[in-house]
Formats: sequence, structure tokens, C-alpha cells
Amino acid sequence: MPVIFINGQEVDTLGHDTVLKVALAHGFHIPHFCWHPALSVAGNCRICMVELEGDGWTDIACNMPVKAGMRVLTDSDAVRAQRKAMLQFILLNHPVDCGICDKAGECALQDYHYEHSGAPRQTPDPKLHTTKFFNLSSRIVLDNERCILCSRCVRFTREISKSNVLGIENRADHSLLRPAEGHSLDEDPYSDNVIDLCPVGALLSRDFMYQARVWYLEPAPSVCPGCERGCTVNLWRRKPEWRLKTLDARQNERILRVTPLENPAVNDYWICNWGRDMAKWLERPRAEQAMLKGRAVAIDEAVEAARALIQAAQRPVALVSSAASNEELEAFKASLGDVFDTFVKSDRVAADGEVIADELLIRADKNPNTRAAQALFGTRPVIFPEDTDLVLAWGEGVEFGELPRGAKILFMGAWLLPENGSADVFIPLSIQTERRGHYTNFEGVVSGFEPVHERPAGVADAETLLPRLASSSEGAA
Amino acid sequence: MDFEVTPTSHTLAAYRARGGYQALEKALRELKPAEVTQTVMDSGLQGRGGAAFPAGRKWQGINLDDGLPHYLIANADEGEPGTFKDRWVLENTPHTLLESMLLASYALGVRHSFIYIRGEYDHPWRRLAAAVEEAYAAGYFGASILGSGFSSDLFVFRGAGAYVCGEASSLLGSIEGTRAYPRNRPPRMTVRGLYQLPTIVNNVETLSNIAWIMRNGPQAFREIGTPKSPGTRLISISGHVVRPGVYEVELGYPWGKFVHEDCGGVAGGRAVKAVIPGGISSQILTGKAAGIMTANDPDGLLLAHEALAAIGSSMGSGGMILIAEGTCMVRLLQIMLRFYHHESCGQCTPCRDGMGWMHRVIDRIVNGQGRPEDIETLYQISRANDGTTICGLGDAAGYAATAILDNFRDEFEYFIEHKRSMHEGRLECL
Repeated sequence: MPVIFINGQEVDTLGHDTVLKVALAHGFHIPHFCWHPALSVAGNCRICMVELEGDGWTDIACNMPVKAGMRVLTDSDAVRAQRKAMLQFILLNHPVDCGICDKAGECALQDYHYEHSGAPRQTPDPKLHTTKFFNLSSRIVLDNERCILCSRCVRFTREISKSNVLGIENRADHSLLRPAEGHSLDEDPYSDNVIDLCPVGALLSRDFMYQARVWYLEPAPSVCPGCERGCTVNLWRRKPEWRLKTLDARQNERILRVTPLENPAVNDYWICNWGRDMAKWLERPRAEQAMLKGRAVAIDEAVEAARALIQAAQRPVALVSSAASNEELEAFKASLGDVFDTFVKSDRVAADGEVIADELLIRADKNPNTRAAQALFGTRPVIFPEDTDLVLAWGEGVEFGELPRGAKILFMGAWLLPENGSADVFIPLSIQTERRGHYTNFEGVVSGFEPVHERPAGVADAETLLPRLASSSEGAA
Repeated sequence: MDFEVTPTSHTLAAYRARGGYQALEKALRELKPAEVTQTVMDSGLQGRGGAAFPAGRKWQGINLDDGLPHYLIANADEGEPGTFKDRWVLENTPHTLLESMLLASYALGVRHSFIYIRGEYDHPWRRLAAAVEEAYAAGYFGASILGSGFSSDLFVFRGAGAYVCGEASSLLGSIEGTRAYPRNRPPRMTVRGLYQLPTIVNNVETLSNIAWIMRNGPQAFREIGTPKSPGTRLISISGHVVRPGVYEVELGYPWGKFVHEDCGGVAGGRAVKAVIPGGISSQILTGKAAGIMTANDPDGLLLAHEALAAIGSSMGSGGMILIAEGTCMVRLLQIMLRFYHHESCGQCTPCRDGMGWMHRVIDRIVNGQGRPEDIETLYQISRANDGTTICGLGDAAGYAATAILDNFRDEFEYFIEHKRSMHEGRLECL
């Protein structure tokens, strides 16, 4: 392995690396706008300049292949001066409207300006004005004045999502990011990744726009329940110390945005637009009331009734949720696996207009944990035996009309559905964002999720509920 | 290119009559490809597009045994303001270029070569296209040329008119059908160029010398010109000059004699205030520094690469612009910066924002709203462009601006202080 010297310190490299990659991997931070580990090298922001010790030559680190024994300086006088000059150029026509920019707080330009320049603008000439609030798609707004033309988003649509919708028009400082003629970013099911890629606040999410300053938020690691890929994501909620004083407590419970959680084993740096919208899916009306035939009861009474049903049943069948966590599935196997004739059911199928499957991330099976469920309970199609007298339905996707006539129905679900009232026993369950757990994706990669907020009172956790259903009396549980 | 321009000098028959395509026949029959490259090396031919890089050294960057297809491109995107010499070659002797390209293709193992001609060149393109057809009909292109077993095809590609397409790597993008952005080096174009394969891009005039060199031998070529810059150069002279046009000048020719005797000097008998030696991206020289102020200026320079390099300029692309006494240099810089701003491709930060900034500053000065610190701002922007851009055009714009500021700072200071030009804003020839 060739050895190079960064600021005099010896550093090991892989032979084919660039200086920027090696430096970042070893904790030397070189500022960069256009370079991104998953995209091709564009080398257009010119801010990652490093100096070759000795001959005083400076060049961009992102396109500099390592050579054994080379000595680079990341913070020499020449490098600092050039960095400052580049920031001066970039900020020349940038509106510096950080006060109303959603990116403020996580903006590379803001950080670098504080860290490396801080110089005021040097010219009395007015700034160039271009389009603000350009309608890029139904999800994304473009502010061309903030755009620094790093071309990350363009390269993303060419190299990763392959929709080729974005390009740069015109020349010089009239250059504008625009969708290809006759196309819109709506065609790209991964379009929202350009919002994260954008080093400044030029590409903004309509959903998150003006919702919160990012420094009031904190991420909770989670897993997208949208398909069997199981992309790891960050769910952003308000920090406890920044909770709003509001009459509507749910304001503080909201998931304000969803961003990908970098994970080379599953989803790299990306998630699809469905994943961005998972907060909407998770914030559907919840079922919070246990019921017997539509009559509201306390949850303990419902559990008692369910236990009685299970003990009385001669031929019980269970439809297990493929959106349940590994822990819940194991709890079911351990406590009720011997009692029930168990099938795995699909909780969710693709909605109208949803992308079925593609080559990047989206998979046809729209449930997050099918693999783990099938490993425990097999892959048999759901066929009810003739004499079925109890059906335990767990999770969504159950058509009550198709269940065997005469069989009692024990239903466990999280959402407010009309069916809840027609079940003999209905027990409300917690959802993914209210508990800890793991999903196994279709490739066998296990990813964990953390609770984002507390579960409502009167809602049970399947993991603790299932052993209670199995025991013969409450005292034994 | 020893021949007389006649109404038919661009035809194949006329070219053959003056010894055309003999060098090709001889090379295909008798020489190995490496020997052709060696001959070009020995001749000491330098690039005529601006950088004056030795052509043979560029060619040696191609590995003939790598088993990959190679490409050769003649850069006829002559966009440098003041330069129109390649146009003269394409109009008057296109076959010289074609024969030279065949020789180069043979030397470099090129199956497909290209001529990238700028879209504005309509008449030259017609002449060139007709010449290519003639050459194909005569069997100089296509499969097994003249029965030698060597095959080569030529494509003439018309650009859509952008200054940046004259930059070799950006030109590749234009041919490939992507946006013409210059590419980062490394990799060099001789490693990964057109379609990611080894590529040589040469200027039209550089290539056109090769037929002559192969016909007359490298020694004969070295006997012309100076030891360090052999051969001749086509110089397109314009500006405040009595007889503008394209002249073939032996390198080492006295500059004063060329300007004042051959080209007739400045109109109205005025002195030469300044001269841009080779396209506006080469550094401007005062008439005094170049020694060509008047016809009998005693210390005139010689027209040779090394002589101009010694005083901090270059022969560039051979587009000489003569500027007479009484011309406003502030307005001149304004025109130059307007051009650079308009033509900056907008890929990398310093040029994209710097050119527009410089343009706005100079516009403000010309509008009488200049501030004394603006001169320093122009210097700063030029310095920030030096060596930080992807291609050379950003640096060149900075060099051009600093050269004018260095030499004529007093005019800028006068303009800023008095809000009017020292020379009534005059640019045109009286």
C-alpha cells in the first residue's frame, strides 16, 4: 500500500484512491461542495484545493490520484487564500438569506464561510437575481439564487436514479439548473434525494418547507416499512428541550422529516420518495380503544376475552403480520406457535400509482419483514381448513369477508379501520415509531429501529401482549 | 505552405500538381508508423494553437501497442478573437490538412479521425467538405488506402459556436453529444479522451505542417525559423492596420518589418500603442516593449516563441491585433471582459463568477462609477483565477486583464478619477 503524507503525517492508502478520500478517511477535513462519495468527480467547485509540498503547486484533492510518497498540505497559506477566494466567488451572487432558509444549520456553504472565510462581500455591485421558487416538481422547490451549480443533483439523476431529468442551462453566471424540456422531476421516484445532496438551500422539500429550524430537531434511527428492502432512515422529531407550547400535543409528536441513514449494506445514501412520505403513512388515524364486537372495553377485559376464545377453539388459524418486528414474531412463535395453524400474510400491497419495483431500491413485496416471518412460519399460501373456528388476524391487509363463516375473529391492529368493530375481540397495537425492534430485509440484513415518541395509553405492545394471550390465566403471565 | 492562392488552389488537382499526397504514398510504402512520429519529433514542430507544446512530444503520449482504438482530432474551432488563420488553410488548401491528417493517423494507428470545425465557418466548411469528397473519390480515405492495408476514415463535425469548444477536452464533449464542459486532468486526453479512448487533438495549422515536413524532411524544416522555433507561422493581423489579413511568416522574422513594411503599418501614420501578439488571451505588449512603435524603431523584437516568452507574452494562436496611439484601453478591456463573461462555460466557480464580476466592475468604471479600489479588485479576481480553473481559459482571461492593467494603469486611474476616458473612449481606426 502506498504511503502518503498529509500535513506531514504519514497515512496509508489504497493505491487507487484520491487524496480527498484518503484525507477524509483519516480525519483531515478538506472542504468540498461538488464531491460526493457516491457520485462521479465533477471538480467544479474548486474549493478542495490542496498544496503539493515543495513545488507550491495547488490542485483539487477530489481529482488527485495518490502517488506513493507524495506530500500534500491541506491548510497552507496558498490553500487558505484560494479557499477564501472561491468562497468569495460563490457568495458573490448568493442571497445569504440564511434567516429564512431551511438549510441553515446544516448548510455546507454556511459552515465553510464561518470556518474558512468570514470576509464581507467586496463589491458594491448589486447581486444578480434569478428565479426563486421554481416549480421543479410537486415535491421540490428550486431557488436558483441560492444554487452554487455544484451539479450534484444533475449527476444523481444521471448516475444513480437514471431519470436524466435535470441539467444546467445557459453559460457563465447565467447558468441555471432546470429540468429537461418536457420533463419534470415528478418522473423520478428518488427525486427527494437531491434535497439531501444539495450542499446549500437551493433544492427544498415542499413538505418540510418552513416547518422547523433543523437545530430544534434530532434524528431517531429507524427502518422504512415501505418494502422488503428495509432502508435505514432517520426520523426527525423536535428535541425535548425545544418542545412547542401548544394546545395540540400532537404537534410535538410529529415526524417532521425523513432522511436516509447512510448504510452501505442496504441503501447507501438514498431512499425513495415513498420512504420520505412514511411519516404520513405512520400518522394515519390510530385505533386506541379495545373492543368486543364494537363495544368499547378496557384492554385487560379484551385480553381476557381473547384468551377465552383461544382456549375454547378447536381449530384456530393465525394470520401473522409481515410488518411485525423480529422480536414480536419470535414472541408469537414461542407463546402461540403450537396453538395456531399459522400463515404469513401480506400487510400492504402497492397502492395505485406507486412504483412496483425497480433496479435501485424499490422491491415488489411492500412489507418490511416478510423474510423473518417466512423463516419462522413458512411460505404456505393462506388456505383455511374446513372446520376453522377461530381466526387470529394480526395487522393490516385482512379482508373480513374472506374469512371462514362462523369462525370467531380475534383482530389485532394499529389503525382505525371499520373492521375493528366487527371483530369478536379487537386489541389495538403499537406502531413501529412507538417501540424498539428489528426487521430482516430480503437479503437477510437485520436493521433496528428506535422509538420516536411514546405510545398512546390503551395500546398494547405485541411483544408483551402475545405471551399474555397464551397463558391459561392472567396470574401465570 | 509554398504555393500561390489561385481560384482553384483548394482543389485536389491543383494540390496534386504542387506535389500533394506524395508524402502519404511514400510513407505508406516505405515508413513504419513510429518513423513518422520520429520525423515529426526531429522537426521540432510546435503546436500552433496557443500553447506551443512540441507536437511530437504530444504524439508520444499515445501507446501504439495498447490494442485500443485511437482518435485524432483536428481542432478547427478557431474561436480566439483576432485569429482567422485556420480559416485560410481550410478555404485555400484543405488537402494539405487532409494529407497531414492521414499521415498523423498512420503514425498514431488512428482508424477514425475528426475535424471539429466551428459552426460559423460556413464557406470553409463547404470547401473542406468538397475536399473530403474528392479525397474519398480518389481513394485517399476508406479501407486499405492506396492498397497499403492501412484504413482510415474522416468525419467533419460542425460545432454550434462556443468559445469553450476550442478547448480540446471540451471539444470532445461536443463531439460525444454531451455538454461541452472542459474535463479535469488527470486523466490526460492521450490516456482517456474521446469516448474514453486515447486521443490526440491538434490545431489545424500544426497538422498542416506535417505534409510539408514529410515531403521535405525534418532537416529542411529546421532550417527555416530559429533553432528553438523552427518553421513558419500563419499570422492573422487585424486592428488598426493598413493591410490586415493572413500572412505566412518565417519564425525569427523582424516584427517591426512585418508590421510596418509588409502590413503597411498603422492607418493614418500613427504610432503603435500596443499589440496583442496572438489572440486576446496572450498578454498585451506596448508598442515600445515590442519595439514596433514606428517603422524605424531600433530595438524591434523577432517573431519567435522564445523572444516573446522572454518578455512575458506569447505568440499564442497567431491572431495579432494592432492598437494605434489614441485608443482607449479601458474600453478595450471592457470589450475583452464582455467576451470572456459571455463565453465562460460556467462549469467551475472561479471563471463562472469571476468573469461576470470583472465584467460588471469594468462596466461600472466605463459608466463613470468606478472606485479607486476597483483596479485592485480586478487584479484580485485575475489572481484567484490563476491555476484554479479546470481549463486554461479562466487563467488566460486573468492574464489578459492583468497585462492591460500593468501596462496602462494610468488610463484606468484617469478614467476612475475624471469619469471619462483619456482618449474620448476611442476604439475605432481613424
